[in-house]
Amino acid sequence: MILLGIETAAELVGVALSDAEGPRAGVWVRGERRHAEALAPAIAHVLDQAGVSLPDVGAVAVDVGPGLFTGLRVGIATAQGLAQGLGIGVLAVTSVSVLAREAYDAGWEGPVAAVVDARRGEVFCARFDGPTHETHPPARTDPAALAAELHGDTTLLVVGTGAHRYGGVFAAEGLHVADIREPSPRALVTIAADKLAAGETPVPGAQVRPVYLREADARINWVQR
Amino acid sequence: MNVLGIETSCDETAAAVVDDERVVRSSIVSSQIDLHARYGGVVPEIAGRAHLELLMPVVAEAMSGAGLERPDAVAATYGPGLIGSLLVGLSAAKALAMSWDVPFVGVNHLEGHLFAPVIEEPALEWPLVVLLVSGGHTLLVQATAPGRYRLLGQTLDDAAGEAFDKVARFLGLGYPGGPAIDRAAKEGDPRAFRFPRAMADEGFDFSFSGLKTAVVRTVERDPGASTPDIAASFQDAVVDVLVTKAARAVADVGARSFCLGGGVAANSLLRLRAPEVGVPTYVPSMAMCTDNAAMVAAAGAFRLAHDGPSPLSLSADPNLSLPWTR
Ligand SMILES: [Zn+2]
Repeated sequence: MILLGIETAAELVGVALSDAEGPRAGVWVRGERRHAEALAPAIAHVLDQAGVSLPDVGAVAVDVGPGLFTGLRVGIATAQGLAQGLGIGVLAVTSVSVLAREAYDAGWEGPVAAVVDARRGEVFCARFDGPTHETHPPARTDPAALAAELHGDTTLLVVGTGAHRYGGVFAAEGLHVADIREPSPRALVTIAADKLAAGETPVPGAQVRPVYLREADARINWVQR
Repeated sequence: MNVLGIETSCDETAAAVVDDERVVRSSIVSSQIDLHARYGGVVPEIAGRAHLELLMPVVAEAMSGAGLERPDAVAATYGPGLIGSLLVGLSAAKALAMSWDVPFVGVNHLEGHLFAPVIEEPALEWPLVVLLVSGGHTLLVQATAPGRYRLLGQTLDDAAGEAFDKVARFLGLGYPGGPAIDRAAKEGDPRAFRFPRAMADEGFDFSFSGLKTAVVRTVERDPGASTPDIAASFQDAVVDVLVTKAARAVADVGARSFCLGGGVAANSLLRLRAPEVGVPTYVPSMAMCTDNAAMVAAAGAFRLAHDGPSPLSLSADPNLSLPWTR
């Protein structure tokens, strides 16, 4: 089955395809908070490059976060629209599992802390002990408190946008920060393909929700409406 | 030609199918009013989250209501509005258009409102003057033909609907403020207080922040003042300014019809007094006053025929203005 993967949880916008032979085409566009501008053309480009037309796609995989709220909504709304229009289902994949997967695909064998920048001085963190074994589910936390908790664990690899934003904080606690920043669309479709192979059924797009891990900011914006 | 319209610019999640620019085959609106009521106004982050949960069911209902498997084009509002809300409808619309292999077209929400009368009133005569009044906008527009607009005046501060919301909140009448004030005013005396009619005799621009302040001062000075009287007097002042300026605009440009649009056009006093402008007056149905996707689909069909499809790279523009012509 051909999978189309959509990655918009961080600043970069990524799209990838995979089929029985694994990931086969992908593109990463500098989104810089311009996810809505970049995503649909990136999808068209990847399909074109791979010689695949949308009706050939069997399921859509999308990063559901945690991450940038606006990016997640652009990615999920796009996945929902594609799935509903094509009459296919969606596979939801978390940003932290994509980040961990990249570490394991690069050969890492120890535990991984996937740390995503949550803005406002906070991070979202999940911990893994193997590509499909999440030991700590994603939670919002303070980077210094997280680094102190992980202090001195040299068996651990720290990855993600949050790991880099607060690189100094993690380094000061003797932790290894790997050069894996934004979740990649390639790892995303790899995880989705594994989920399919393991028997997970894609769900209707309308059921897919972002992992926000933060209450909605309840300020009214009189000016913008 | 069947156009699927999608509207998510503020707090209504809407989808509709319109055939041939004016035949509404389905129109579904899911309001988020209950989600925002306890805050006394629309909360952008809550709206963005709700649109993502509501949009696909609303689209499915609009499509099945029209008995369609696939429309001939998809139109979506790309501005003005709340950025986080606009992006949901815009992204989903592009994806739907791609998956159905049909054109996508971005629609200006304000132009959508100007197509409400086109849908509902085939006998409309141009040039017309439109008073577009909502929570986000207060515009007096001259339309010489569909798609050809001239700005006559706009609010310099608060939008009319915003003034209703803020005064209703101050008076403890709840949210949304328009219907709340309208209801309270029915038991009040509109002549109990004489609130200012800002710039009533000059130009076509509006200002409502002074009026809101005057209401606050009046209540502070006289805490025992009857709330229905305050509401009725406030509503009277707003409608008085709107109708006075609209009548002057109609006379000034020699308009052959006058139209109301936007959520505040649901106000009973404004609907009652609109015909005072002196030319055939068109007051849209309640469903066409408030945000809906049928008007977006109609405007989208028009733009598609005149300008062609929009690029897939189209982004949302929270501050988009109407495309003015000379
Ligand atoms: Zn509106």
